[in-house]
Amino acid sequence: MGVQSASVDRQRPRRRTDRVAATGAILALAGCVALPLYALRANRIVNGTPLSLGAGGPAAWMLLALAIAAATASFSLAGKLRARVELACAVGMMGALLWALGFAAAHLAPDVTSPARVSIGAGAWVAVAGAAVVWFAAVHARPGRAWRVGALVALVVVVVAAAMWGGLGRLSIVLEYAVQGAAFWSAVWTHIALAGTSLGFAVAIGVPLGVASSRIPWVRTAVLSIVGVMQTVPSLALLGLLVVPLAALGLPGIGPLPAIIALTVYALLPIVRNTYVGLTQVDPSVVDAGRGMGMSRWQLLTRVEAPLAMPLLLEGVRAAAVMIIGIAAVVAFIGNGTLGVLVILGWGGQVDDLTLLGAVPMVLIAVAADVGLRAAGRLVTSPGIRMEVS
Amino acid sequence: MIRLEEVTKRYGETLAVDRLSLEVGEGEVCVLIGPSGCGKTTTLRMINRLIEPTSGRIMVGDRDITSVTPEELRRGLGYAIQSVGLFPHLTVAENIVTVPKLLGWEASRMQARVGELLSLVGLDATSYRGKYPRELSGGEAQRVGVARALAADPPVLLMDEPFGAVDPLNRERLQGEFARIQKELHKTVVFVTHDVDEAIRLADRIALMRDGRLQQYDTPENLLDHPASKFVHDFMGADRALKRLGRVRVDAVMRSEVPRISDGSDAVAAAQRAACTAERFSYLVDQDGRLEGWIDCRLLDRGGSAESAITHVDWRATTVRPDTSLKEALSHMLELGFRSIAVTDETGRLLGDVALAGIETTLTEGDAYSAGGPAEGGAQ
Ligand SMILES: Nc1ncnc2c1ncn2[C@@H]1O[C@H](COP(=O)(O)OP(=O)(O)O)[C@@H](O)[C@H]1O
Ligand SMILES: [Mg+2]
Repeated sequence: MGVQSASVDRQRPRRRTDRVAATGAILALAGCVALPLYALRANRIVNGTPLSLGAGGPAAWMLLALAIAAATASFSLAGKLRARVELACAVGMMGALLWALGFAAAHLAPDVTSPARVSIGAGAWVAVAGAAVVWFAAVHARPGRAWRVGALVALVVVVVAAAMWGGLGRLSIVLEYAVQGAAFWSAVWTHIALAGTSLGFAVAIGVPLGVASSRIPWVRTAVLSIVGVMQTVPSLALLGLLVVPLAALGLPGIGPLPAIIALTVYALLPIVRNTYVGLTQVDPSVVDAGRGMGMSRWQLLTRVEAPLAMPLLLEGVRAAAVMIIGIAAVVAFIGNGTLGVLVILGWGGQVDDLTLLGAVPMVLIAVAADVGLRAAGRLVTSPGIRMEVS
Repeated sequence: MIRLEEVTKRYGETLAVDRLSLEVGEGEVCVLIGPSGCGKTTTLRMINRLIEPTSGRIMVGDRDITSVTPEELRRGLGYAIQSVGLFPHLTVAENIVTVPKLLGWEASRMQARVGELLSLVGLDATSYRGKYPRELSGGEAQRVGVARALAADPPVLLMDEPFGAVDPLNRERLQGEFARIQKELHKTVVFVTHDVDEAIRLADRIALMRDGRLQQYDTPENLLDHPASKFVHDFMGADRALKRLGRVRVDAVMRSEVPRISDGSDAVAAAQRAACTAERFSYLVDQDGRLEGWIDCRLLDRGGSAESAITHVDWRATTVRPDTSLKEALSHMLELGFRSIAVTDETGRLLGDVALAGIETTLTEGDAYSAGGPAEGGAQ
């Protein structure tokens, strides 16, 4: 404690720039200034013409101002105050961008019947990425729990508000969503269902395999090498290879079955490996004490080893989940209606908005899984072994 | 209470323990000692079946230990090890009730037991209950480890170098506390160490091993005075007289009638009253009896000012506790250059003192040192 505050004191006169946040802010700035935030297209499939920043109305200028503010804060402020200012700027930038997009869409393609569309430009993606980096840096600098949660809530409020009143409904990707309708939601649920089912299977198979690996040397050698090799097979190749054994069993080589098999296989490695590592890194003296006090092997596993291995195990599940949410797009090639289908159709028909309608939700699902499983990990980790006590 | 009969453990070519026969009486502390690799740990772990002997038989109570399952056996034998092995994800309280939980005690009984045990090992129950092991110092962790071993009140304690990883000052304190607890609880203890002083201080009997074989099994006194072989003699060390002092507690030779002056309000008046006593030094204490220093009366007699005759001291640095060993007290005295040293309780209240002369008497009187041994009446 004393050492920490001493070093903080020493830093105070010579403020350190928050380099990560500065990078994010400059990225967002570049997105606004150097690239088009939005593009106007005559109809659904032609390429767009870039629009100027001002097309987004007042919100666009606010976005610019917030990016500059974030950059300034990262250079000139310090400590908790800086983290909070950066966090507020990050939320503000995301909100302002949405309103600017909505404004441009509502003003340039106001007519529901006209084929003209305003779509999200490259600059907008760069700006979102920049704002996300600022957000990440700010949260890392410990603005306090209330601010962290508050920022998330504020973001949700801003997104909902922009969707309802900000003209987002006239944006090309939203129009595309309106066109796709039920097909979109079916793709979302198929995606989640395939990834979720596979993850469930992978946990059910992988955890026992990991436990067995930690107990029996030959099992470890066999399991870890087989699972490792399977991991190196490219996903499309694995789907192709699965056709043969499935056909031999009289089972279809396309559809959900091979998809679930493939996704389960990919999810296995991180789960098996992390279960194994989690169990073997338990301090041997802890195990010895437990045995010496009369715990049975099962009690030792469930009461001591499993809780100690749990954080690492869940980290494996998280990595597996994020990975197979990505691979679930690929199984669209063997007749599964995941979000991958929208991406493929979008490519085929050169409808960028359709591609985005597949890609953006995929990212959101992966982020949600990541955040959710991290939170679950914190929940099941005893404060006694938590990395940082917040 | 514990009997090993011709117990042998073989690892391939190496004989870790070779036809070891040993009997530990009820309420006795048996210390296994010997050079590293002589088979102490192996012997200890065979008693709770963490290691199965190659041959031979081990009895605990009047049961062959193979007549029950290893788990059932171990729940009746307290187990503490050098690395402690506290469960890092559980609180101090949860760690302590490990065995009671396995035995299915009621929650309220376990709660109460935690409080009892924490105060027994000298930790404040309210502030330590909810702590996690990583928040404990080495000495505190070791105390919790001992509390955990004692949790279900097992008649037998198995301890493998329990104080081996603690710094010397804390080790000395933990040994004192162990001796106090043992005096209270009368457990049958098998205690592994490689520290001769620790063995002499804590043991009723010492089993000295070498290469898996028992060299001598006897009281510390006999090991020091009548070593069975040159190896035993050399292992116990040359300073045998000094080592014996490790077995005697300060309170066994402490003089409690010491001249003392309560400082009251006026130090000068106090100093003048000190001049009346026959002794050269008078201890100076505050109203609560806490040691503040002493007065040299000879300086007063020579007409020195009261101020110059008073030495103020911090009791923490210049006194010993009643359960300190005489060896420790002697080394303190030599370090400070005193011919006597004050004895206080944990709060600094003056209880008496020990003089160099008193220690000399102990050294020459053969029987004096068994009187204040850690297990009174346990050893002859
Ligand atoms: N699992 C084992 N495999 C092979 N040899 C062992 C094993 N455990 C202990 N030994 C050997 O047995 C002997 C006694 O070991 P140990 O009881 O641990 O000694 P101590 O505790 O007295 O230092 C040593 O020579 C050690 O190398
Ligand atoms: Mg050992």
